Amino acid sequence: MTRVKRFKWAVLLVALALVVVGCGDDEAEEEPVATTAAPATTAAPEPADEPDEPAPAPADDEDEPEPETTTTTAAPPPPPEPVTVRAAITGDEGTLNPYTYISGFPGWNILMLQYDSLMQLDAAGVPQPWLASSVSVSDDLTEWSVTLVEGVTFHDGEPLTSDDVAFSVEFYTTNPEASRFARDFRGVADVVVHDDYSVTFVLESANPGFDVVALADAPIIPRHIWESVDIPSEHDFGGTNIGSGPYILTEIAPDQSYRFAANPNYFRGAPAVDELVLIIFADDAGAQAAIRTGEVDVIFERIPPEQIDLLDAQDPLDVILGPEFATQMINYDASLRPFDDVAVRQAINMAMDRQDIVDTVYLGAATVGSPGWIHPGHSVYNPGIEVDVYDPAAANALLDGAGYADSDGDGVREFDGQPMSFEIITNASDSLRLRIAELTVEMLAAIGIKTEVLPVDTAVWENAVWPGFDVNNGRNYQIAMWGWSPPVQADPLRLPWLVHSSLDRGFLNLTGYGNAEMDELSEALAVEPDPAERKAILGRMQEIIAEDLPFVLLLYPDGAYVYDSSVYADWEFIAGQGIVSKLSLLPPSARP
Amino acid sequence: MTATGGEDRAIRRAVRRRSRLPTILGVAGLVIVGALVVTAVFAPWLAPYDPTERIARPFLFPSAEHPLGTNDVGHDLLSEIIFGSRVSLMVGLVAATVALLIGTTVGVIAGYYPKRLGSTLMRGVDVILILPFLPLLIVLAAYLGRSLLNTILVIGFLIWAEPARIIRSQVLSLRSREYVLAARSMGAPDRWTIIRHIVPRTALLATGSFVRAVSGAILLEAALSFLGLGDPIQKSWGSTLYWAQTRGAFLTPAWKWWVLPPGILIMLASLGFALIAFSLEERINPRL
Repeated sequence: MTRVKRFKWAVLLVALALVVVGCGDDEAEEEPVATTAAPATTAAPEPADEPDEPAPAPADDEDEPEPETTTTTAAPPPPPEPVTVRAAITGDEGTLNPYTYISGFPGWNILMLQYDSLMQLDAAGVPQPWLASSVSVSDDLTEWSVTLVEGVTFHDGEPLTSDDVAFSVEFYTTNPEASRFARDFRGVADVVVHDDYSVTFVLESANPGFDVVALADAPIIPRHIWESVDIPSEHDFGGTNIGSGPYILTEIAPDQSYRFAANPNYFRGAPAVDELVLIIFADDAGAQAAIRTGEVDVIFERIPPEQIDLLDAQDPLDVILGPEFATQMINYDASLRPFDDVAVRQAINMAMDRQDIVDTVYLGAATVGSPGWIHPGHSVYNPGIEVDVYDPAAANALLDGAGYADSDGDGVREFDGQPMSFEIITNASDSLRLRIAELTVEMLAAIGIKTEVLPVDTAVWENAVWPGFDVNNGRNYQIAMWGWSPPVQADPLRLPWLVHSSLDRGFLNLTGYGNAEMDELSEALAVEPDPAERKAILGRMQEIIAEDLPFVLLLYPDGAYVYDSSVYADWEFIAGQGIVSKLSLLPPSARP
Repeated sequence: MTATGGEDRAIRRAVRRRSRLPTILGVAGLVIVGALVVTAVFAPWLAPYDPTERIARPFLFPSAEHPLGTNDVGHDLLSEIIFGSRVSLMVGLVAATVALLIGTTVGVIAGYYPKRLGSTLMRGVDVILILPFLPLLIVLAAYLGRSLLNTILVIGFLIWAEPARIIRSQVLSLRSREYVLAARSMGAPDRWTIIRHIVPRTALLATGSFVRAVSGAILLEAALSFLGLGDPIQKSWGSTLYWAQTRGAFLTPAWKWWVLPPGILIMLASLGFALIAFSLEERINPRL
């Protein structure tokens, strides 16, 4: 009896362990970093792909008589050979209106298939007029005037006018709960409606990035629908999410799928894909298995580097790669010995073989980091920054010259009588980052700095590097692997947040860095009206960063998406955003 | 007459066969465990490469130079698995030792003082046995953080209850034997009686429990590491599986050389110890 039990138990354990595999957390690509980033009071980096708005959407579905009956049935007979694209996503997105969608990525991107914003990022990631026919800004950067395209209608046929624009701003700011869009319009003092098609945003203070953070981000919602809504996060629209966008949500099966029909009257022309079905999978592995067997035609999540070649090799699958602005970097406490010495920081910078990390850990699917922080594919990148800085011999010489000798011959240098031996703290849930940490240990050993990886839980790691998500609480680490989510870099005007020595302006300055010239440039940047001049300031800031090294930027993981080219192949990669956008689904002629 | 004799012989043969089976299995277990221990001890000589050195391109398929290919950063998988036997066996043995120390202490005390102290202790044992095991293990491991020591302690602290029960029942019977009663009636102090007469008589039983605990602990270590709750930098069979899973080897042809070998070794190690325990128990378990 006991024997039988024991064997059963052993078998059970193995089985259990295997089952749990399936649920293993494969959140390699998450950026918990910037997640709660938002110190609630400051405009903050939003998480790339974590739920950023806790929208209590699914709850709604249970309470109310169900939407489907009212909405799904009346679909018109399909036109000849309609293009249907089935896309895999890996999490429920609620009822997908501006208050109930769930994840920052791809939730927001899917949301924006139904709605339009005043501006739209083009393939290079630069905002272009969209619902607006033109956008102009006053010299002091406080008045943004928008002229709307005429004749745009919502899905129910009502016209979209400046009244809806003003209403949207007002609605978001008066219902700030669970809304990233309230954050967009923080600092808007007034919205002046001149006539049906022109409107001016009056800001409390200069904001040169208003087009990126607000105009190209927030969906315009119809007043005639939303003015009767009291508690937006609890409101269910019975399946109809009325916007002006190229797709109309026709069916929701909670935790299973979403079905979108093309909006034939879309103001930029009818979409190229007639029907879009989103199928929800439990995890990435499930989605990848599905695209292999042809159950879906595209995956609306990035695929991990090791899958790129394997999936690309399979016909008719193709993989599209493009720049993303997420980062992998080394942080150190620059206010502490020995990292307060710029020579030590420069030596660490030169010790890192970035190309090796990109090739080994990302199998080439990443861009080698510029020591100046900005991605080489970014519109404000300073091409004068030297990227190829790997030179361990020079690093050793630099440390020798600065007096960090290995006096006891154990292969580890000393500073102030102590060995240069440190812990590298990192979050164990990000397996790629963990591997980068392992390689970092190797590379630092080559210049006589001994390190050891300390993999910990995400919360412990965040609390060491960024206690309470408030830089005023200081730092409890020596060296840490770190990374910011794409928005922190996508909008270069956020750069001062990372490097300004005053903690209320540099509220993402996690390394305790300070430089007087950098502070001056940061302040000048915030009020500079001329884009060319701003770019020049940013260029100088990159030079200082590459010289002063408040942190060591290692690489930018590339975005990689897989799709079935025999079904639909016109995917557009927006720099820093990926392929999940209305641009991908509109005919090329309708794209900006 | 002849018929009875034949029956006798048949029964004897059957008995002999039955008693031989545990021996055979025990020897098989010893061989398996012996081979693994040799691998672990001589790992630096057996492994073709340093398992922490990046010696080739990542994700290589098996070849003559790398019989099991390379992992996701270019470590030789065969070397990694050979060195992994060290951590896996070590965790199994040390965790089982921890469990046995606690289990024996509790079992002996609870058996020797069966009234108030004993029943209190045994209710504690009941609590440990009732707790949902794997979830508790996962929560504890996640809470304490990732290190080899924590893994060992967590496993040790969770598997001592069963040895405690077994040893207590033995002690209960020992304490009423004549020689123990005689010693006590002549005024021997409890401590002396326990150390001189009780503990030595539980040693065999404890050995059986120990071997069985090793088998369980190896599985648990693998499960924890696999779930990413061990130290992922530490090379063990479980962590090899963890990396195989996070880097997608379960979905690609790589499962044959990246998932299967450590899986089989975990199974073998656990099986080896389980077989030895089985054989030992056949011999030493007290029977009615």
